[in-house]
Formats: sequence, C-alpha cells, structure tokens
Amino acid sequence: MKEANSIGVLRRLFGNVGLSPTRRDILKSSAFALLPFATALPNQPSPNQQPMTANGSTDPYPIPWLDKFGSHNQAAGLNNEPGHIYHFKGRVVRCNSFTGMGTDNKGNRIAFGAPSTDYGVMQGEYWAARTSQQGTFVHI
Amino acid sequence: MVPANEIHDFHPPIAPSGLFWVVPVPEGALTFSEDGSSFTLEMRNVTVIDQPRFPALDSIGTPARMSFKLVGKSTGEPVKYEDASKHFRFTGNRASCKLEAQVEVPSIGFSWKSDPLSTSKSDFAIMGEEINGRYYDS
Repeated sequence: MKEANSIGVLRRLFGNVGLSPTRRDILKSSAFALLPFATALPNQPSPNQQPMTANGSTDPYPIPWLDKFGSHNQAAGLNNEPGHIYHFKGRVVRCNSFTGMGTDNKGNRIAFGAPSTDYGVMQGEYWAARTSQQGTFVHI
Repeated sequence: MVPANEIHDFHPPIAPSGLFWVVPVPEGALTFSEDGSSFTLEMRNVTVIDQPRFPALDSIGTPARMSFKLVGKSTGEPVKYEDASKHFRFTGNRASCKLEAQVEVPSIGFSWKSDPLSTSKSDFAIMGEEINGRYYDS
C-alpha cells in the first residue's frame, strides 16, 4: 500500500518532465506524499497502550505429524497417536467408525457414520504460551 | 475414506494454528466415573461447519450447530501404544463408545437428529492416559 502511494507520488512529481508544475500540482503531490506516513501511524505503539507479555497463544499446539491430506490429524487406530494436542499429558479417549441412523426435518431417514467419523477427548496439562496450561478439548 | 453418498460433514473449522477440528469443552460437560472406567461428554450448540466435500481444498463450509452426547466404557482389555521417534506413549484400555447427535444448518433450513444413543456403535475405541512432546522424556 505504501509502495503504491510512493510510486504514485513519484509519477505525479516527475511525470511531466520539462513542464513547470502548477501550484495545484504541488498541493496535490504534497497531500499524497503524506499518505505513507499517515498509513504507518497505526502500526506504532500507542503511548496509552498497557505493557503486556508476548508469550504466544494459550491455545494448544497441534501434533506435528501430517496425514495424507496435509492435516495435523491422525486417524484413530492401532498404534496411532490418539491425541490431537502436542506437549500434552492427561486423559485421552479416541473412537471412530461410528454408525447409526437419524431423521431430518422433512422426515427422511438418513444414516450417519463412516470409518472417518471419529471423536477424541483430551483432558489434562498441555504446554503453550511458554508454560503449562490446563484444559479439556474434544476433536469432533 | 469419504463415502460417495455423503451429503453432510459436520466438524469445527481447522484452527489458524493447524489444530485439527478441536474445540474447548465447557466446564462440567465431561464427566468420568469414580474409577475412571466410563465417561459422558455432552455438549450443546457447538459451532461447526457443514463441509461435505472435505478434504478438497476448495470445499465450502456452511455455518452449522451441533449438539451431541458421547458415552464410553472401558472393556478392561489393556492397550499400550508407544513411538519414541514421535515422542508419544498411550497406556489404557479398549473401550466401547456410543453417540447421539443433532445438527442444524440454518441457512439451508436443514436439521437432523439421530436415533437414541443405544442404537449407535463404534468399531474402535480406546481410553487412557497419553504423554507426548516435552512431557514424554520427563
């Protein structure tokens, strides 16, 4: 954004080589020349802003491994990591291949479930924001 | 493993961190029996998306709500999974789990409710303790 404004200003200033700029041209150019500084201001810390820590989010980290779809997800199954949170210790439940039936709001009977219909429950301690956290989470 | 006749797929969005389809559980929604051998997780109006074409990268997610009750019970059969190269260890038992759920997609006027809990089944379930990452070696 800033670069585009600067280029615009340069073209306005030097585009008409050999012609004397009018007073109107100079005023327009000056106004545009201020834009880069104006847009930069919100990025500066406000003097009224309270000091804060910057240790990162307290949200859990995903497990590093990727599945075949490029997701941080592990299929439930023998010898597979059951949780979805990394740097974790605690209770875990993992289950999949749910099947059952149900009814929609038009009275249609619709089955649910597939081998990938899975749930995971994680309750305990995990590491985030540079310290230990407590939480309970569910993978749906 | 997405069935060809799948018409809805409800799950939370993937978090910006990459955390996959995981949401916090409200206080009191998860209860374990005293001996830890059974549990119930019941959540209401969880914000999810309906994304039938997942895992296609351009699959659209339609805002939806989901309520569910998941119950499980240990069978007592011990299980241990460990992979030192991936820094995880799970120690627990096989289990059986059942699920009942209802979903609503307001924008398309669709809702669906499963039959009672007792009529569902899962082919695979385990419950126990896991340690991974920085806690694995400690």
